[in-house]
Amino acid sequence: MQIVKLPKQNLDKFIKSLSKFGQIYAPIKKDANTSLFSKIEDSSQIDLGYNRTLLPPKKYFLPPIDTMFKFSAEAGYEEMEHDLNEKSILLGVHSCDIHGLRILDLVFSGRYVDNYYFTGRKNTSIIGVSCIPDDMCFCRSMGTDFVENGFDLFLSDIDQSYLVRIATSLGDDMVRASQSLFKEVGKEEIEEHKKKSNEMQKHFKIDLELYNLPEILDLEYESKTWEEIGEKCLSCGSCSMVCPTCYCYDVFDELSLDGKTGERKRRWDSCLFKDYALVAGGTNFRSERSARVKNRYFHKHRGFVAQYGKPSCVGCGRCIQSCPAKINIVEVITKIRSDAYV
Amino acid sequence: MSKPKIGIFGMTGCAGEQIVILNCEDELMDILKVLDIRSFHTAMSKNDEKCNLDIAFVEGALVQPEEEISLKEIRKRSRLLIALGTCAVWGGVAAMKNEVSRQRLKDIVYGSPGRIFKSIPAQPLHSFVKVDFSISGCPIEKEQFLQAVASLVHGDIPVLPKYAVCTECKINENTCLLLEKSELCLGPITVAGCNARCANCGIPCSGCRGPVEEANIASEVEILKEKGFTLGDINNQLRTFAGPAEAIQTHLAKR
Ligand code: SF4
Ligand code: SF4
Ligand code: SF4
Ligand code: SF4
Ligand code: SF4
Repeated sequence: MQIVKLPKQNLDKFIKSLSKFGQIYAPIKKDANTSLFSKIEDSSQIDLGYNRTLLPPKKYFLPPIDTMFKFSAEAGYEEMEHDLNEKSILLGVHSCDIHGLRILDLVFSGRYVDNYYFTGRKNTSIIGVSCIPDDMCFCRSMGTDFVENGFDLFLSDIDQSYLVRIATSLGDDMVRASQSLFKEVGKEEIEEHKKKSNEMQKHFKIDLELYNLPEILDLEYESKTWEEIGEKCLSCGSCSMVCPTCYCYDVFDELSLDGKTGERKRRWDSCLFKDYALVAGGTNFRSERSARVKNRYFHKHRGFVAQYGKPSCVGCGRCIQSCPAKINIVEVITKIRSDAYV
Repeated sequence: MSKPKIGIFGMTGCAGEQIVILNCEDELMDILKVLDIRSFHTAMSKNDEKCNLDIAFVEGALVQPEEEISLKEIRKRSRLLIALGTCAVWGGVAAMKNEVSRQRLKDIVYGSPGRIFKSIPAQPLHSFVKVDFSISGCPIEKEQFLQAVASLVHGDIPVLPKYAVCTECKINENTCLLLEKSELCLGPITVAGCNARCANCGIPCSGCRGPVEEANIASEVEILKEKGFTLGDINNQLRTFAGPAEAIQTHLAKR
């Protein structure tokens, strides 16, 4: 992979030149506490040094609420119109979130390809950016603290400039379109980059041990820990909403008043919701909150591993940050692990 | 198919739900196309007091003995009875001080004129009659009302979200007032549907839509206590809109 240098004073010009390649979406600061991905009209809004966005970039490909098609008694089904030529650029995506998107790609490209998801996904290029972990990040444990694919360009911050990794021909086109802004990487920058990479590792405060975890979870299926967190959990759904790899959705119809036409929609769902596992006839096979909390962990760290060979958690720390009951995935797994060894 | 015959009734409340219905200005003509409104005292001068109804929408809580009689009349006349608004569904603000005797409340609020009428502790409709469906909110959300009408006309019982306000709040990417600003927010235990109206404006949720099913009041109270709120503050907030709710009563009884 080719790597070039982008001096920071050229960043703004580069971003402006990128708009030729599509509408830019990038992190902005909403207020002192919150960053989010937003459509960018003015490049000065972009904050590439952000910590974590409230919602992950999945919101662009699997929107919180989405119309799938319209229907009417006379006309039948009518697909929603999408402009297949509309290109977008997701700029400033952290490594964990790129992994998150790769996991969603895997899920939605299964036996029944989800074109609602892929329509936008295929037309979006990804420009990653390096980050500094805080006390809730555990991407290192999940092997998602760096990425090898799933992006067109990746910017590594080395203070005065970015090292820009070019991963695809589209990324190459983006660099070539403003070639004069880029410089060759010198010895000094290589040293700086290695120094930064080592420093990054020192920021990690928490770790989640993956070794044998699916097996331990199976053994600890009846652990009291599930009851304990079930007591604390409010089923508020925050953890699923903010999770880059939670992909559950609920499908429903919205009818017009005359009952003749309507829209079929889907919206984010969560296995923490009481009615998630409610089926016809009124049976609920996870009516206990403890069973629902347990499902979140089992899906991420056991079921998904069995199906796809890796967990569906990228260690982004969002669920830790947003749980009102302070339920912390790393603490829960650590507790389960140590219970198993008692 | 003939249009369902409906009535819109008010017990004790602020008429907020009826105003929301009347405020559906763009949709009113469509509503009239699908519903045969037989009784709606707030909006019509000619009302049929006797006919059988397919759907009765009832707003307000019960705070006077006579209201029990009229509610039971409505129930007898109607195939479906739908509680509209937090007062009808949970008791609402009128039930905020139910633990104080009616006599004392009347003395404080009305003085001696209060002696000439009867008053009972405010209760939601379901304490007296079978309620087939509830649309909560203080006031209800117009979109939920319209969606409910569309489903009912179609012969379905409406499906409204059962999750908490936090879910909508997160979707809107609001800074969490409870976690980041230590404010007394009832979002985690309050049923969604308002699109996190208050939190969107930086105001904590005061629980006006009433509790979610299986609300974990104990955990919410623990969280708020840890944030430095007194049990008194917390209980007052819990009682403001849905005091009679079982989950809240169970919590209040514990002290
Ligand atoms: S489970 Fe939590 S830490 Fe893991 S990806 Fe989801 S939000 Fe991030
Ligand atoms: S089952 Fe639960 S943990 Fe798994 S994707 Fe769905 S909401 Fe997320
Ligand atoms: S964020 Fe916490 S309290 Fe809310 S559903 Fe998830 S685990 Fe439960
Ligand atoms: S501000 Fe309130 S409603 Fe919003 S997420 Fe926080 S606790 Fe929930
Ligand atoms: S945020 Fe809470 S108080 Fe505000 S409208 Fe919604 S339920 Fe009512």
